[in-house]
Amino acid sequence: MIEALQFEFMRNALFAGLFASLICGVTGSFVVVNRMVFLAGGIAHAAYGGIGLALFLGIPYIIGTMGFSLAAALLMTAVTLRAAQRSDTFIGVLWATGMAIGIILTDLTPGYHADLMSYLFGSILAVPAADILWMLGMGAAALALTLYFYRDLIAISYDVEFAKLRGVPVRALYFVFMALVAVSIVFIIRVVGLILVIALLSIPPYIAEKYAGSLGMMMAVAVLLSAVFNIAGLWIAFIFDLTSGASIILVAAAGFFISLAVDPLISKRRRQ
Amino acid sequence: MDEPVISVKNLYFSYNSVPVLENVTFDVADREFLAIIGPNGGGKSTLIKLMLGLLKPDAGQVRVFNKPPAKVSYCFGYVPQDVLVNKGFPISVFEVVLMGRLRHHRRARIGGSDREAAARALEIMGMRKYENHKIDDLSGGQRERVFIARALTIDPDILVLDEPTASVDTGGRAELYNLLKDLNRTRTIVVVSHDLMVMYSNATAVACVNRQLYYHDKGEITQDMLDLGYQCPVELIAHGQPHRVLKVHEDGS
Repeated sequence: MIEALQFEFMRNALFAGLFASLICGVTGSFVVVNRMVFLAGGIAHAAYGGIGLALFLGIPYIIGTMGFSLAAALLMTAVTLRAAQRSDTFIGVLWATGMAIGIILTDLTPGYHADLMSYLFGSILAVPAADILWMLGMGAAALALTLYFYRDLIAISYDVEFAKLRGVPVRALYFVFMALVAVSIVFIIRVVGLILVIALLSIPPYIAEKYAGSLGMMMAVAVLLSAVFNIAGLWIAFIFDLTSGASIILVAAAGFFISLAVDPLISKRRRQ
Repeated sequence: MDEPVISVKNLYFSYNSVPVLENVTFDVADREFLAIIGPNGGGKSTLIKLMLGLLKPDAGQVRVFNKPPAKVSYCFGYVPQDVLVNKGFPISVFEVVLMGRLRHHRRARIGGSDREAAARALEIMGMRKYENHKIDDLSGGQRERVFIARALTIDPDILVLDEPTASVDTGGRAELYNLLKDLNRTRTIVVVSHDLMVMYSNATAVACVNRQLYYHDKGEITQDMLDLGYQCPVELIAHGQPHRVLKVHEDGS
């Protein structure tokens, strides 16, 4: 591991992974407790339309994806708040539409686009230094917003009717935090790719929730777990020369299944 | 005569053009203990959400202390249905109760006075010793006490409870109703329940809701209410004390 860090791209990858963990742990916890994992998956995949658009217009990747995933997030959130019963269908449609638009726009763009694979499966080893600063900024913004609205977030996640009565701006907060999730996803696509984003966003908070006594604790544990998964996955990818994004996700998935196996033992011990 | 605390006039409400409430009119007096009963889907929860200002009526009006309810939401302590909360969410009893103080002073943050108020409310409900427990580890009856404590943190004039005994066992129910009886000395209480037990210990008025509302200003149900409210005769065991739940049978059988 230490020798690997002599390479600049490995150092960049390590920082990208750590900052992505900060973002994932904080926003992912909000997603998991509000049962919005499918919605987050929809945002990530709809973002592919933004990648195609950026390619087609020759504009920077960040602008295209950010625009697309923000639009998708706000639309999906609006539908979820308005007609919760059938919102999953709508999310599924936007999910597929975004990807289809991305593919068609790529077809219409002359030339060979090998680098598109890196958006699907991530390329943490090729993350530019500027993006790492962006990720740090995003992580800080997510943390600041969460700290400021911490009590409101607890209320809307735990008992939304009560939060409404007490005058918490429930709808506005949902939009703000889903926009935050959308922006986070754009950066995490860099690390693990849009197909795998959902795993990094949901697995660490899922495991953390079972052991945490509060939302804040859950977020902290999720950030730590995510960092462990990122570093371990990166290390395995480096040693065995594997795809980094997929390695990170497989480590996270292993953690997920181990936590499921450990669950019965813990609840058994608690009962005794 | 005293001003009513809550006044509902010719209230209409529908979900997606399916009428839920029609021409509902009634008043709730100060220190009243109003029990709202009725069949599932009859509009009980919808009615209290209209009273709280969480829903807007299609026609008619709700006035609370002569103002629109949304303007005086600080007068309400609300105990929503147990099934609506997010089970599995990691939260301690104390944090649940703190939620009651949200927006109490127009800020998103919670301060020392809020913590004191939460501790006091837990004390009143006899739940102080559980303050660091996870809410999911409590029994149904204990959880309900915590939700009532949360509603009491702002010392509300009106306490509104939606199905408070749904996940509470029989012994716990009696205890809970006794607690509500105590709280009723200093504030108005509105309870939605399809548990008829609420009537014979506490209620000073009963309203039966099944799209329309049948109001009775004593703590007893009339056969008319049951027939109209449930659309079929309901057999009730007449416990008699201290309120009769059924009219006296005429033929002595």
